[in-house]
Amino acid sequence: MLQYAALIPFFPLAGFIILGLLNKKLPKNIAAVIACGMLLISFGLALGVFMNISGKTEEVQLAPWINVGSFSASFTFLLDPLSSIFLMIITGVGFLIHVYSIGYMHDDEKHNIFFAYLNLFIFFMLVLVLASSYLLMFVGWEGVGLCSYLLIGFWFKTKAYNDAAKKAFIMNRIGDLGFLLGIILLFITFGSSDYHTVFTKANGLMSGDTMITTITLLLFVGAMGKSAQIPLYTWLPDAMAGPTPVSALIHAATMVTAGIYMVARSGILYALSPVSMLVVAVVGIVTAVFAATIALTQNDIKKVLAYSTVSQLGYMFLGLGVGAFSASVFHVMTHAFFKALLFLGAGSVIHGLSGEQDIRHMGGLRKKMPITHITFLLATLAIAGIPPFSGFFSKDEILGHAFSAGMVFWVLGVIGSMMTSFYMFRLLFLAFYGTYRGDEHKVHAHESPKVMTIPLIILAILSTIGGFVGVPESLGGSANFDKFLEPVFHDAYAKMLLMEHSQILSEVALMGITVAAAAISIFFAWNMYVKKKTVPVSEGTRLPFLQNMSYHKYYVDEIYSALITKPLDKISGFLGNVVDNKFIDGIVNASGKLTNWVSGLMRFVQTGNVDFYLLAMVVGIALIIFFKLM
Amino acid sequence: MNTLIILSALGIIALFAEIFRFRKALFPLILLGLGGAFFFTAKEYNHPQIFLGMMNFDNYAVIFSCAILIIAFLWFMMAKNYFLQETSVTDHFALILFSLVGAVVMVSFSNLTMLFLGIEILSVSVYVLAASDKSNVMSNESGFKYFLMGSFATGFLLFGITLIYGITGSFDLASIHTQVAANHDSGLVIAGILLLMIGLAFKSSLAPFHFWAPDVYEGAPTTVTTYMATVVKTAAFAAFFRLFSTCFAGVTGHWTDVLWWMVVLTLFVGNVSAVRQKSVKRLLAYSSVAHAGYIAIAVVSMGAASTSAILYYTFTYSISSISAFTILFIVSRHKGSKDISAFEGMSKANPLLSFAMTVAMLSLAGIPPTAGFFAKYYVFLTAINAGNTLLVLIAVIAALVGIYYYFRVIIAIYFKPEQQLVPIKVGPLHRTVLIITTILTLLFGLFPNLILGWI
Repeated sequence: MLQYAALIPFFPLAGFIILGLLNKKLPKNIAAVIACGMLLISFGLALGVFMNISGKTEEVQLAPWINVGSFSASFTFLLDPLSSIFLMIITGVGFLIHVYSIGYMHDDEKHNIFFAYLNLFIFFMLVLVLASSYLLMFVGWEGVGLCSYLLIGFWFKTKAYNDAAKKAFIMNRIGDLGFLLGIILLFITFGSSDYHTVFTKANGLMSGDTMITTITLLLFVGAMGKSAQIPLYTWLPDAMAGPTPVSALIHAATMVTAGIYMVARSGILYALSPVSMLVVAVVGIVTAVFAATIALTQNDIKKVLAYSTVSQLGYMFLGLGVGAFSASVFHVMTHAFFKALLFLGAGSVIHGLSGEQDIRHMGGLRKKMPITHITFLLATLAIAGIPPFSGFFSKDEILGHAFSAGMVFWVLGVIGSMMTSFYMFRLLFLAFYGTYRGDEHKVHAHESPKVMTIPLIILAILSTIGGFVGVPESLGGSANFDKFLEPVFHDAYAKMLLMEHSQILSEVALMGITVAAAAISIFFAWNMYVKKKTVPVSEGTRLPFLQNMSYHKYYVDEIYSALITKPLDKISGFLGNVVDNKFIDGIVNASGKLTNWVSGLMRFVQTGNVDFYLLAMVVGIALIIFFKLM
Repeated sequence: MNTLIILSALGIIALFAEIFRFRKALFPLILLGLGGAFFFTAKEYNHPQIFLGMMNFDNYAVIFSCAILIIAFLWFMMAKNYFLQETSVTDHFALILFSLVGAVVMVSFSNLTMLFLGIEILSVSVYVLAASDKSNVMSNESGFKYFLMGSFATGFLLFGITLIYGITGSFDLASIHTQVAANHDSGLVIAGILLLMIGLAFKSSLAPFHFWAPDVYEGAPTTVTTYMATVVKTAAFAAFFRLFSTCFAGVTGHWTDVLWWMVVLTLFVGNVSAVRQKSVKRLLAYSSVAHAGYIAIAVVSMGAASTSAILYYTFTYSISSISAFTILFIVSRHKGSKDISAFEGMSKANPLLSFAMTVAMLSLAGIPPTAGFFAKYYVFLTAINAGNTLLVLIAVIAALVGIYYYFRVIIAIYFKPEQQLVPIKVGPLHRTVLIITTILTLLFGLFPNLILGWI
């Protein structure tokens, strides 16, 4: 069974090739069926893997790849519980989003290309998680970056969308450079980038190895880019320029969690470096809180969700940084459910309102879009961490570990969690409750077609019950999720030697505090946006200082522009206009002119007179004989 | 030996064609004859034969004969029109065939007299061919210049042979080798070697003995120019290398430094002079001089890999040249001009001609994936192995200049405004030649071992 798993990525690849080559020759519905069908097959295989993988690790070699001297790499896939969970998320959630896209993209003229790109993305994402070496992972890593670029700029006729696509690509390049350097250092240190070799050799090392710290920090730079952590997070909110299914699939459920996957996969390396673990945890928690504060005041429905994603990714890194690897992966899964649902719900709203994204112009959609409303509500409860919804279990597991690692992580985590509840319910209340604030005459809000609402319903069910696979022992569960992943993280846990669980009583108490905090936030949001019917002020109104900072995203984009982009532009302009155009081109042109001039002189030598030619010959012969014999 | 017999017989048959009136059958007969010659020559591969100490049909001779026969075959296909237009067709056929006999002798001699005979058989035929466009003053001038200067150079060649004979008492290459090694500090030996080298340098158009080449190449009918640039050049270098590797490899101190300077001068003169040329024909003439410089690098850096480098270079260079000259021939007949401007904007209406010309130019410039790249690569490799790094550096700079003028043609074809949209008519034979040469140029560029493996 397991060797067939190697085929999983190739169905979406086949879909991409078929759709890419035939493109407009295929009718839209056939193209959609091909794209979704390919993914369904992959999902079936992934499910088979998932059922059979418990406690096992399998390597499937597909083909040799590079063999140069002592360097060799091969196309080999690794199947273990960790990759199987990602397979399930990617193919399962991916399939639902594909189906949803049939409705969402129905009227787009580039419909078929859209599906081709989606299929290509799934292929690369699957390669990323199935790779059995860092090098092959890098192939998938770059591939998803490319697809992300193509899909953010999918409507490339709008310049702002193109800029967003470029921004995402360039920001990711910075991270990728770190990742690549990390891989090179891995090669130098371990002589290979295969997980098996690297992890086996690393297992014999002592904690605190400087080289390991360097490697893990460099790898983390890659994760910061891909998973939008401070300081490389600014591309993700802009990436909302892409079609909403893209935001749901790539920029919420799958690609942005690649950084989490990579750090989790390298768990043993991180476990060897307390410094790197601390960096990961600090960057994670700071990003979580920072992004949440920005999300508080945003008015674009997708921007709120984008900052929310950055914030949730921060929680995942916090989990990794405090050694709760399986809790982070758990949160990746539940987040994939509820955040994909939120984005798709937002897409449904945007679709129903003919492209309106500003929550100030929404309101009262509860009655007009009942299914969207209910599913959105369930997802909001899940992200807010209200029991028994899925987000509660995963987030609380992370916060529980954070508490053991350091009180400050926990306190900040709870504050971030309060803000999460607030901005999410603010969004929910402003969009679905109260009265409609848009132009009734122009826009006729309507529920989306079934092909869009059915994926919403399925995701809503998953968001609601998805957490039950990981109910902690303190609540009478059996932590199945952690046990499933335990073999993967076994060595890493052993290296850390901490993992001392806090007392069961306090664990339950901590949960009580976070839930209470979330509930208070919800009450505040209800009080403000439902009872008092507050609507965020329109553009141009002066805001109090803190609100203003949050609304303008702390001017981070402007700071980056002033500190990095503009000086680089200046230097680039100088090098381009002065050094290259004047100096280097000058040398090149001068040598060209010199050659041309000499060539002109040479023509006078070729006179056409035989007597001159003979004279030249004789002089040549005389000189040769003279120098050689005298 | 089979080659010589078949070619001589063909030449004599061609002479009778006029008398017995089978002129029309002559062309297919000659192609058939060349095919047969190729077959019987190839059979001698790995079966070396020595004839009275005069000729030695070793693998070197067999491979170069085969290369010359393939080039000649392509050349006949390209040059058929030339024979149709002229009055004394059969004489021309015979002259070409006899010159081929000379070429084969030049690659298989084991005796200085045979070398001299080969060179003269080849040269005298080509003197006449260069002047064969009797109504054209340029052609007459070309033939006369070539003859005059050729005789002059032959004098030095003979002088060299005489001096060598005087010291060694033999014309036989093997005994010259031993005698030269025994008398290596004799001034007469040095002078003999140098004079021999000068004679051969003239035939291979190395500077400063290259002056005839641009004028003769330009004045001669394009088909004859093609023949000179391909068959004659290949034979000249094969003879040059055969003589010097057999007899004078032990006394390289006497001649490599002189040849080194001649190579540098040739590379400079050939490439730099080509830059300003407006006429593609003259451009190709200078380019031919320049290529002689590159090939001679492998002679200067005499070593184990030199033979295969020279074979690969001369053969692929000849194929690309046939391609380029064929297109020049077609275009100039259509446009009435041999200037680069005649090629401007022809890409839309003539995709085959444009593509074939581009491949030929890229190959001559030495750009991968064409054969010209590996030609230069292997030549440079011999030089680096022999420690001539400076020479490689100079040659690379010269190649850079080369790219400039070859690309002028490509730019004219693709990037200049369209002159006319009427496709130029290309006959089936020419079409076949161009397809074969283009495919071979790309094929050898991808799989150089197809040639290198033989020698």
